[in-house]
Amino acid sequence: MNLYVCIKQVPDTETKIKLNADSSGIDSAGIKWIMSSYDEYGVEEALRIKEKTPGATVTAISAGPDRVVETLRTALAMGADNAIHVELPETADSAMTAKAIAMTLKKEPKVDLVFFGKEALDDGAAQVPQLVAAHLGIPSVTVVCGVEYSGTTMKCKREIEGGSFEMVEITAPAVVAGSKGLNDPRYATLPNIMKAKKKEVKAVKLAEIGVSSADQKVRMKNLQLPAAKQAGKKIEGDAGAQAHALAAALHNEAKVV
Amino acid sequence: MTWQTFAFLAVAGTALTISGKRFMVLYKLLKAQTGKAPEVKEIGRRIQTTIVNVLGQKAVLKDRWIGIAHTAIFWGFLVISFGTVEQFLMTLYSGASFEFIGRGPYSLFIFSQDFFTLFVLIGVLFAAYRRLVLRPKNLGQSSDANNVLLFTGGLMVSIFLMNGFHILASSPEYSESFFVSKHISSALSEFGFEHETAEGLFTFFKWVHMCLVLGFAVYIPGSKHLHIVAAGPNTFLRKLDREKGMTPINFEDETVTQYGVANVSQMSWKDALDLYSCTECGRCQALCPAWNTQKPLSPKNLIVDLKKNLHANKAAILEGKAESITHVIDEHVTEDVIWACTSCRACEIACPVFIEHTDKIYDVRRNLVMMESRFPAEVQAVFKNMETNGTPWAFSPSERANWAEGLNIKTMAEAGTAADLDVLLWVGCAGAYDDRNKSVVKSFVSLLNKAGVKFAILGTEETCTGDAARRIGNEYLFQTLAKTNVETLNRYSVKKIVTACPHCFNTLKNEYKDMGGDYEVYHHSQFIAHLLSAGKLKPNKAMDETITFHDSCYLGRWNNVYEQPRAVLSSIPKVNLVEMKQHHDQGLCCGAGGGRMWMEEHHGARINVTRTEQAIETKAKTVASSCPFCLTMITDGVKTKDMTDQIQVKDIAELLDSTT
Repeated sequence: MNLYVCIKQVPDTETKIKLNADSSGIDSAGIKWIMSSYDEYGVEEALRIKEKTPGATVTAISAGPDRVVETLRTALAMGADNAIHVELPETADSAMTAKAIAMTLKKEPKVDLVFFGKEALDDGAAQVPQLVAAHLGIPSVTVVCGVEYSGTTMKCKREIEGGSFEMVEITAPAVVAGSKGLNDPRYATLPNIMKAKKKEVKAVKLAEIGVSSADQKVRMKNLQLPAAKQAGKKIEGDAGAQAHALAAALHNEAKVV
Repeated sequence: MTWQTFAFLAVAGTALTISGKRFMVLYKLLKAQTGKAPEVKEIGRRIQTTIVNVLGQKAVLKDRWIGIAHTAIFWGFLVISFGTVEQFLMTLYSGASFEFIGRGPYSLFIFSQDFFTLFVLIGVLFAAYRRLVLRPKNLGQSSDANNVLLFTGGLMVSIFLMNGFHILASSPEYSESFFVSKHISSALSEFGFEHETAEGLFTFFKWVHMCLVLGFAVYIPGSKHLHIVAAGPNTFLRKLDREKGMTPINFEDETVTQYGVANVSQMSWKDALDLYSCTECGRCQALCPAWNTQKPLSPKNLIVDLKKNLHANKAAILEGKAESITHVIDEHVTEDVIWACTSCRACEIACPVFIEHTDKIYDVRRNLVMMESRFPAEVQAVFKNMETNGTPWAFSPSERANWAEGLNIKTMAEAGTAADLDVLLWVGCAGAYDDRNKSVVKSFVSLLNKAGVKFAILGTEETCTGDAARRIGNEYLFQTLAKTNVETLNRYSVKKIVTACPHCFNTLKNEYKDMGGDYEVYHHSQFIAHLLSAGKLKPNKAMDETITFHDSCYLGRWNNVYEQPRAVLSSIPKVNLVEMKQHHDQGLCCGAGGGRMWMEEHHGARINVTRTEQAIETKAKTVASSCPFCLTMITDGVKTKDMTDQIQVKDIAELLDSTT
């Protein structure tokens, strides 16, 4: 069984984001990079299947600049067998990323399951899993918070609007995008961290898989940081006075009534 | 040659063979331990501590009455052994008496035998009374202990009866020297024994005594009484200083494939000797913050259970079948036991035979964390924060120096070198990120300024010392953080460091040496106490109230700093400093050490609340602390007791700064 897990390297959640000089992206100086936490669910799920399935292998794929190799090593340390680094420019959008990943997967001998996180922690676009599935012509199920496996068939529990869940049954080969609740991602053991340092990470160049900047559909410009959060305002006085003050504030300051 | 010679040869030969075999197994088990034992250096100091604590019984005497009883039994046994040797020799060859030493000395020898037999008997009777009637709760009941008391008591009674009948039967030359036995003899004479009967009973009790001695030799290797053999060497081999760093792991050594202890044979031989030395006295348990708040951990049970595990795996270990040795985590030493430890070291302070309980716990944790990735779920986020952000809490490293904005504090980057500075202020993660502790650091900064101390901070170049990672068992993460800090500190040629966090203090002072960082490190209590005594700080506002001081484990028990924080508090005019019922080296931990700061407390009473209750009992209006974790824990305790409007919890620096 050939399991693939696609991971994205994102800034740590505590990073104070600054924009780059031409406001086309973020300033990456001093950023601590981590694996997008939703992708950790994907890695963990693939590893759990591998542990129950003799002969199964897990391959981690990340598309991005050279620094993403570090995040691939994190996946290797968790227990992935192989890693592929798709050399994608920093500015790539979801369409280009998805095509690059899909073309890389097409070159693999056999693909049974491809795991993703439901969305990336940084841009939150939630596009790539479905786009990859479309490129490969296989089904996908997203926001998965639980899976029951029976052979090649999977019953996926999916979180939908309104706090409800729906069950989706799909058959491999398929794309599964994990969400919180799917599992508790493991902390790498030290022997695996040591082994991961020595494992080879296969590099794939865009030219090899027929992807170019023409595949990029979205280009960023003039990004702005959100306005600094204003301190809350406490309305005092008796209930009548408070109601008046609140209505005035909603009308004059917030301009919503 | 008489029948006794042959009988003795047969009995003693059998007993000593069995006993020897049993001791040999213990020795082989010790030798088979694969963990790295600490180097044995400073022989002079070791001899000294052995004299003081074995012959002088200093550590045993810390618990007064049973200490005195133990000393009586210990010394009694030493002296009586000479008599037993004489008895054995005389049984083999009747002319082998020690009489050759001269009439005077020999009568003194006889006297000493009688005297110490009485001494031991009184000691044993007290020990039996204590164990069976007083029943101290941490001692527990054990058939092994009762057997030992029976053996010991039996040995003494048999000596008296033997001597009594001896005097009665043959009125020996030295009758007057048997100053106890002669009275027993007089009492026995009331029964009107025939001469031959008395002679026969003398021989009988002599054999009872000899058989008890030999039986004891067979019994001891499998008993807690093994301490009579192991505790002496264990005292000699103890860690000599209170300050200790955890033993580092060399990750560069590729031949090492096992980190920490997954099975008992992976401990060091010194750890095994610790297990052999335990006499189950329960002093460790009596002081343990985990045990006293109904956690599953008792340091005594831990040692006893590890010893049982070692014995249960005897065959596999001695046959070299490493794969069949069972896991150190079993139904007794559970994961909850291992995670309950706050690393406060109260157990180690209490132990009269210098067992190092916490080292065993760290070693088991190391295996669980680094080899098996098994630890309380909430710890994973802590590790990840330390890895990416260099702090156990989720904060950005770029915000580490935000607390210092507007305070006009130089960073090392601005100062360039430490040469022109008096000291580097190590802020620590709590001081840098936790609002309550930021104000502690600010108060300390204010004191440094008032005293005209030239200092700087590392600012955003500082990162977590790694203390919690190390105590939790993540040695790899600790070393990663430590190497980063050592590199930074050495780059600026830092020599002298002061910090308000005892955990940072201990790590920088005692553990960075192994990572290539040798610094002169002070806790702020020491530094302030020095500024006070040098007249650089002069508290001038009175604080007319009662204050109680809570000892931090990493300051007190780990580093022997008890008096300086108290001196700081006492320097404030009119302060009435009172102690809680547990203080100094008997102090109760706040519950946050050993990484417990970041773990849920699932069992029993909360340690911080228990400690807060002790503070409340003193009626003090202010609880003073000198550790960011203690400050947080006791503050939470006061909140839980709903007494925030009656009791304030303050760091010593805050109290001094507000009165100076």
